[in-house]
This record gives sequence, structure tokens and C-alpha cells, in this order.
Amino acid sequence: MTKAMEKKEGAVLVVGGGVAGVQAAMDLTGLGYYVYLVEKAPTVGGAMAMLDKTFPTNDCSL
Amino acid sequence: MVEAGRSPNIELLSNTDFLALDGKPGAFTARVRVRPRYIIPEKCTACGMCAQYCPRHLVDGYNEGLALTRPIHIDYPQAVPASYFIDPKACMYLKNGTCMICLSVCQTRAINFDQQAEERELHVGAVVMAPGFGRIPDSALEKYSYGAHPDVVTSLEFERMLCASGPFEGKLLRLSDRRHPKSLAFIQCVGSRDLGCDNGYCSSVCCMYAIKEALVAKEHEPELDITIYYIDMRTQGKGFDAARIRAEDKGIKFVRARVAEVMPWGQQLKLAYSTLDGGHFFKAYDMVVLAVGLDAPADAAKLAQSAGFALNHYDFCQTTTFSPLQSSRAGVVVAGAFQGPKDIPESVTQSSAVAGLVSALTKQERGKGYVIKTYPQEQQVSDDEEVRIGVFVCHCGVNIAGVVDVPSVDQYVEGMEGVVFHAQSLYSCSQDAQEVLKQKIKEHRLNRVVIAACSPRTHEPLFQETLKDAGLNRCLFEMVNIRDQCSWVHANEPQAATFKAKDLVRMGIAKARHIKPLPEQTVSVIDKALVIGGGIAGLTAALSLADQGFLTSLVEKQPHLGGHLHDARYTLRGDDTAKILKNLINQVRKHQNIEVYLSSELGQITGYVGNFSSQIKGKKTDDQTTIVEHGVIVIATGGREHRPPRVLDAPIKYSDRVLTQNDLERRLAGRARNRAPGLVVMIQCAGSRGDDLSYCSKQCCNEAVKNALKIKEINPAAQVVVLYRDLRTYGYAEDAYREAREKGVLFIPYSLDPKPKLNAEGKAPEVAFYDPILREEVTLAPDLLVLSTGIVPEDTEELSKLLKVPITSDKFFLEAHVKLRPVELPVAGVYVCGLAHSPQPVEEIIVQAQAAAAKAAIPMVKGHVLVEPTVSTVDQPSCIGCGICEALCPYQAIRMIKDEKNKRKAETITASCKGCGICASHCPVFAISMGGFTDEQIKAQIKAFGAS
Amino acid sequence: MTSEEFNPRILGFLCNWCCYAAADGAGASRYQYPPNLRTIRIMCTGRLDPAFVFRAFVEGADGIFTGG
Repeated sequence: MTKAMEKKEGAVLVVGGGVAGVQAAMDLTGLGYYVYLVEKAPTVGGAMAMLDKTFPTNDCSL
Repeated sequence: MVEAGRSPNIELLSNTDFLALDGKPGAFTARVRVRPRYIIPEKCTACGMCAQYCPRHLVDGYNEGLALTRPIHIDYPQAVPASYFIDPKACMYLKNGTCMICLSVCQTRAINFDQQAEERELHVGAVVMAPGFGRIPDSALEKYSYGAHPDVVTSLEFERMLCASGPFEGKLLRLSDRRHPKSLAFIQCVGSRDLGCDNGYCSSVCCMYAIKEALVAKEHEPELDITIYYIDMRTQGKGFDAARIRAEDKGIKFVRARVAEVMPWGQQLKLAYSTLDGGHFFKAYDMVVLAVGLDAPADAAKLAQSAGFALNHYDFCQTTTFSPLQSSRAGVVVAGAFQGPKDIPESVTQSSAVAGLVSALTKQERGKGYVIKTYPQEQQVSDDEEVRIGVFVCHCGVNIAGVVDVPSVDQYVEGMEGVVFHAQSLYSCSQDAQEVLKQKIKEHRLNRVVIAACSPRTHEPLFQETLKDAGLNRCLFEMVNIRDQCSWVHANEPQAATFKAKDLVRMGIAKARHIKPLPEQTVSVIDKALVIGGGIAGLTAALSLADQGFLTSLVEKQPHLGGHLHDARYTLRGDDTAKILKNLINQVRKHQNIEVYLSSELGQITGYVGNFSSQIKGKKTDDQTTIVEHGVIVIATGGREHRPPRVLDAPIKYSDRVLTQNDLERRLAGRARNRAPGLVVMIQCAGSRGDDLSYCSKQCCNEAVKNALKIKEINPAAQVVVLYRDLRTYGYAEDAYREAREKGVLFIPYSLDPKPKLNAEGKAPEVAFYDPILREEVTLAPDLLVLSTGIVPEDTEELSKLLKVPITSDKFFLEAHVKLRPVELPVAGVYVCGLAHSPQPVEEIIVQAQAAAAKAAIPMVKGHVLVEPTVSTVDQPSCIGCGICEALCPYQAIRMIKDEKNKRKAETITASCKGCGICASHCPVFAISMGGFTDEQIKAQIKAFGAS
Repeated sequence: MTSEEFNPRILGFLCNWCCYAAADGAGASRYQYPPNLRTIRIMCTGRLDPAFVFRAFVEGADGIFTGG
């Protein structure tokens, strides 16, 4: 097991890659931060990626 | 999501576990472990060859176990990252050391079985916890025969079954016999409002998604008989009740009942349910959907321990009413369902809000690690250069290809003038398709791109970004809408839809031959904010902006700050509202970045995003007027308690016997001896949900429960009767509702047919209503008749005219996108929060204000905004200076200037131009050209329309 | 000519912000309408030069639809 230490300044950690985590990451980059987005599953999207459409407008969710 | 995948400022660590957090705010060290995916994402093209050869089967978790996949797989084609992965628990090689077939079939050598788990230490200033929610345990579903009978499914499984790209390609089939069900029941509150599985709270989303799924199912099978069994229909969000009514209109039945159990019954399933009046019934259905709630994440306790913050009694993150997103550990904030069960727009709002909190907490760090995205040098496309068009026709899964014959549309463009390349794609918006697009642009030296897919309103920015990445000007792009305006609306006429798609593509290509590159323009942003309204929303927004380092002007029309929160005395959680408000006002008044204007209002406003100039005038005539220059505006004008003159058709005379919840709260907080008398009757939805106001005000049920509990606290002998339609104590407020019932508060539902009869004009109020439990008419003469009235917005009409922003028919501001941009208004640089947005409880107002402040800070942090290149330009030699365009422009974006020969000429103010084109269509000498919509382009489209 | 035989070709000029958005909305709600309409997106109906209408009739349109 290797160990790497990263001394990046101005970074924020977001735990969770669902709609909340991804939105937080996007807004943090908008505010000038570098973001580590940690997701335990192999892909981001969380539960929202499983939704076909969303209430009440039935837009697609992606 | 694709956007997040391509941001140079987000390092996506998927397949990664969070291990530990040390240090303090501003200087945390987080430890994470990246598990091997056995595939190198940069090399994987997601071609799928490996999965075709992989010999093992695996139950597909993404499709809720309804389909099979392989140990080497990708969840869905648009996944981010767009890379396969290997499930080590199922792979034959990783388990038994044999196989490795995939290794030899992978053309790009992306598979690497030597990958090891890697631990990393990340140096971060703050941490956002957004781990989402967990599953309701199967044990809570057993009484509904879940697991025992295949036709009992959870709502998430049902979602996948309905999905066009799901296991049944959108066909609604029973799992038992693959037949179309004829009848279907939804059971609400499964795993929520249920102490049996320790989930006393309401999950807040199930009523909405059940209605959505029912409507979608009805779309698939118009004859399907659907019944929703519910306790309370909690559709309290903005515009949500309307969707429920729409569902009723479509023939979906709503039955208020508790379902005790579901048992197999021949080919069907038998529901045993009991209604409010104590009746027991049975009914058989072909299929049953369990509307399962949101549980705390399975690893919540581990996460809390390793990050060092506290959980609440339901294992969600512990927070408080007035700091709703702050965990118990400084520097660790929380957003989304982990803060408490919630829907997408609220999660998105919380996410923006935490970004703002982090930005205030670590403002010295801002920008230090930021990577500025660079694009390759833009390729020059001159007017006389050969037109080389690439056409991409999208299947959108089956959304388009299920109706339109996509291969024939793709073939149709072959040989058209200027078309040098054409192809189909399964999902043209996916990350891998962007790579293909870039590659094809290079390979075929394309200088125009036409994509026939969905709507440019939603997807044009994505493709334009890809064009920039490929070194093309983003305006060399045309989108043809063959989904929203073709396949979706002609679902039963595939031939005609295909014919129409071909016409539209031909017209798009005709336009594309004439499109030209347009210059990118930016506008600088003044880093000052204006906040309108000094109530809890405005105070919170101003403080958040100021804490992030931006000068903020706060305008309040009253002579004091605090707004209507001064009327509140206590909250459901027992907070001392007055003390907290006083503290907040003090912080605002003392903050060096905030300038407060009391007894003032917005006079005139001119300018555009980044450069507004506002006149702030005192309310008295001799008061002076101040001009403030600012870059952004946050609207927080609030709302007030509605006092309807009639309730349930009865005239109301407000008095010390007939009062609103607000009046009652003041009375209960006072010292009068008889303030909590013997019999109190509360009427919910008084003047709401169609009675006077059309909507639900979202907070009145909480207020009623709060005050009912207070009455019981002061006078335990008091009898409190709450007459309601649906009791909407969503989220954790359900705890208080339960407590009130335990303490003897009587909750009795009333119907609108017949309505309860009120006598609320004299000194002796009376209420007569039908009691469904006693099954008889009851008349009460309460000491206090309390009306739970709704919320109405204040001053939104004037402000909407002043700022040219839209309001809903209920006079709340209309956000830019209900789901994904909940605090932005359609006019750039203008944001909204609080009761001006929609009725909501104080905790949500605070979150929304923090979110609006974060969104408003983004252009100020950047220092500039990009202006859309589709603006008008005046060809000054041709201009005759008539001034028609200046007079007609609705945005004051054209001004008349004198040229060097002192002749009058028109000129566009680019930053104000909205690209409407009124000027171009009215110019008598055709001197004005509309970028992206020139006469030449539109005429070419018309000609192509005729050329079928 | 009976109404069943007449299959008009209609050209629509739709405002990006309202009518085009509404047409997208109709799709999202899966409303069904006859497939006789072809559309041109403009940023505002103010862009609709009367000359475009005449030209469309010349090109064989049986009707012009505009919404904004």
C-alpha cells in the first residue's frame, strides 16, 4: 500500500458524489476552490442517476 | 455531472473510502483509500467488448437487481467517469486466479489486474459531508410480502422498470409472468413514520415520487388502474399540489388508509387496509409498489466517528434550526439527504449554501489551488473557407430511437451540400460521446457541427464547450431538436416523426452552411452586492456575503431589521427566537462589510449583471437618495401571514377569540393567566389550497403542532382539536406531531364536501364538522378558534417590474430552473431567497439565503462574466441613423452615437443586449445583423423547409 | 378536398424563451400533436421579419405559426 501526501492549498474535500456532493463541488469551484470529490461507488451520480424523471415536471434527471 | 467530470478543479476519486480526518478548520488532513477498479480510466473507451466476453453473470445493482450484468461493467452509458470497472467480489480471476479473458479482448490495454489499493492524505481547508441516504431494511418490508412475491416491488425498483434505459426498456411488466399489470397499488410511508423500524420521521419525498411514478406508469399504460394508499398526502412544495390534482384528473385514485399487510392471492396480491372510520377492507391488485422512505446511510456511524461529528437520534447528521448545515465539528458542514430526508431542489440548495459557508470559513485560501481552464488556440474559420459540416444523430437511448428511425435520418444526410461526416450516437451528451465529437472534428477537419438530439435550451452549452475544447468557435454549432419537439410529441406516428426529423435536420444543415464564428466577450463585475429585505433571509444572505469578503448594501423598508421573525417567540425545537435574532442583527450591524439602509427602498435600477446602479431612497420625501453601484442583487423581500377575510366560505372577524397561529403564539408567550384555555380548535389550510390562496404554505402544520404542544405544556387539561386536510409535518417535525397525539391533542381530518361550518364573527365562535371517526356531525364552541392561515409574498409585483424578472401566478418569484437552479432568477446576476421565493419554515429560509449568497458570490469571485455571443451588431456605414432600433429595443441596449463625420449612427451595448433581434427585423436598411440568427441563416432554413 | 386528405405543411417561428420552451415542455409532458409543424427557433418573435413569412408562403407553406 503506497501513501501519498498532497500539499495542495485552497482545497476542499467533498464526501459523497450524489446530486448534493456534485453540486457542492461545482459551486466550490465557482467560488475559487479546488475540490477532491470522494465517492465510494465506482461512478458519481448517486440515487439521482437512477431516476428516470423528476417530479413535478417529469424532466429527465441527468 | 458531465460538467463535474470535465472540470479541471475537481479531482474525482471514485471507488474511494473516506477513512479519517485530523487537524482543524483551514488545515485538515483527510485520509482516503482509493480501491482498485482494475481498469485505467484514461485508457478505457467504454466500448463494452470486455463485458461481452466476460463469462460470469452478476446481479445488476444499478438496476435494483432486476437485470444481470457482468463482473466487468459500467452502470449506464453516461456514467462519470466513463470507464468500466471490475467487481472484485465477482470476478473469476480476482477470486480464483483463473480466466483473464477480458485482458486479451481489450484493444486499448486498459485492464490492469496489478492495481493495488492506495491510501492518500489530502490537505483540505474544510469538509462537506454529502453521503446521501441509505435503504430501508428489508425486514420493514416483509409484512407486505416483499421478497416473498415478485410482484411486490420497491419504488426504486419500479423507477428502473419504468425507465426507457432500464431492464425492461420502459415496458411495464410483472416480474412473475412478464405480463402487463391491469391494476397497481402504491403503499405510502413504508419505512417512514414507522416506529416499528425506528424511523419516526417522514421521508418528505415519497408522496411526490409516488405521484410521479403513477403518472409515468399511466403514460405507459393508459388503461392501468392505479390507487395510492396514503396517510397524509404531503405535497407541500412549490407547485407540488398542482401535480397531485393533475394525477387525480388523470384518473389516479387516492385512498386515505393504512395498509396492514399484503398477501399473495392467486395470480394477484391482496391488500388488507383500514380506513379512518375503523372499516377494514380487502382489495386485490396485479402489482404493488412500496413507497420506501429514505434511511440514514448504512455507514453513518462509521463516518461520524472517523470525521468526528455527532448524529441525531435517527443517525442522520446533527444540526440546529438556525445553523442547519453546520455539523458539531467546526469546519465540517453537511448537505443533502444526510442532513435530513429531502428532495432534489432542497439538496441542491443546501449544496450551494455549504459552498458559501466554506467560502466564508476559508476565504484566505480562496483561489490558491484554483486551476484556470485553458482552451486550444481557436482555429480561424474565414468566410471563403470550404464548409465542412459534421452531423451527429442521437438515439437518446430509446427516447428518440424508439420512435424516429435514427439510422434512416443518419443516411438521409449523406451527400448533402457541405456534409463531410455523419454518424449516430446512443447518447450524444455522454462524456465518451464528447471525446468522439472532438476526435471527429479533428479527423475530418469539421468547421460546422450539427447535432440532432434534444433541446438546445438544455444541451447547447455542453456541446459548445466540447467545440471549444476542439479548438472551434462555439458558435459554429447548430442543434436540431428531434426529441422534445419530435419523438416525444409524435410517439404514435413513427413514420411521420421520422419524416419530420429529416425535414428538421435538413433545415438545420441549411442554416449551418451560413453560420459564422462570433467573438467571445466578457463583462467585468463590481464586487459589491445589494440585498433587498432585512428579515431573516436578507440578514443571513448579507452576513454570508460579508463573511465571504464582499461589501454588501442591505436595504430594509422598515425602520428596524428582523422582519416578521420578530413575531415568532419559539420554534418547534424550542429555540429562543428573539435572542438568536437579536444576535444576528448585532452581527450584521457591526460587520465592517455591511452598510444598512433602514426605512428605505429601491427606487430605480439600471445596468446588467456585474454593473448595476441602484437608487436607494428613503421613505420620507425629504430623505436623501443614495446611488449604489453593485455587481449582483439578492432579493429577500419576504412574506407575511395571510389574514383571509373568509375561511371555508364563512366571514371572519379576528378578535381575542378568533385568531391566527401567529396571534396565538404571541398570546401563549405572554403572561395572561387564561392564555391556554380549556378548548382550542385549530383549522388547517384556512384560506389555503384553493380556499383563498391556491397553494400550501408548507409551515402552518408545523406551527399548529408547535402551538398545540405549547398549550398542553401550559395547561395539560386543555383540549386541543386540530381539523386538517393533510397533516404535513414532514421531516423530523413528524416527531412533534406524534408527541402531540400522545399528549392528547385530537387531530381530525375534514373534507371539502361538505365543508366544516364556521361561525367566527361574534364573541362565541362555533365550528360544526363531520367527524369521520364518530361518523356523525359534531358542533364545538371553542374558547379559541385558531386559523392556520398561509403566507403571502410582499412587494413582489413592483420589484418584478423594476428588475424585469418573472413571478408565478401566486406572486412568488419564479426561479430559473425548479430543480437545478432554485435560487437564481432568469435575469443574470439576480438571486432570490426566503418567502419571496416560496412559503417555507425558517430553517429552510436560512439555507436558501446562504445558497443565494453563495451563488451571488460566484461572479464576484471570478471578477467577470461571459456574455452570450448572440448579440446584434450594427453595420455603421449602412446605418442611416433613423433611431427606430433605439426606440424599439426593450433592454435599452442600443444607443445613438455620432461618428467621425458627425453623423447619427446606432451602436449596440453588448452587455445589455439579450439577442431578441427586434432591431434587426425593423431596420429599414438591413444594417443590423443578429449573431447566430442572421437574415441569411433564417432564409436558408425557410428555403430548406420548402425543399422536401 | 376533404379534411382527411388535406395535410398542411406549417412553418413555425418560435421564441426561444417562451414558445420554444413551451414546445419543449409539451414534449416533457408527452402531449401529442399532429406532426405537420416544422420549426425555426428565433431568440424573440421580434426577430420575425414579415419578409420571412412571405418567403415561407412562397416556399410552399400552407400556414405560418408563431408564438412568443
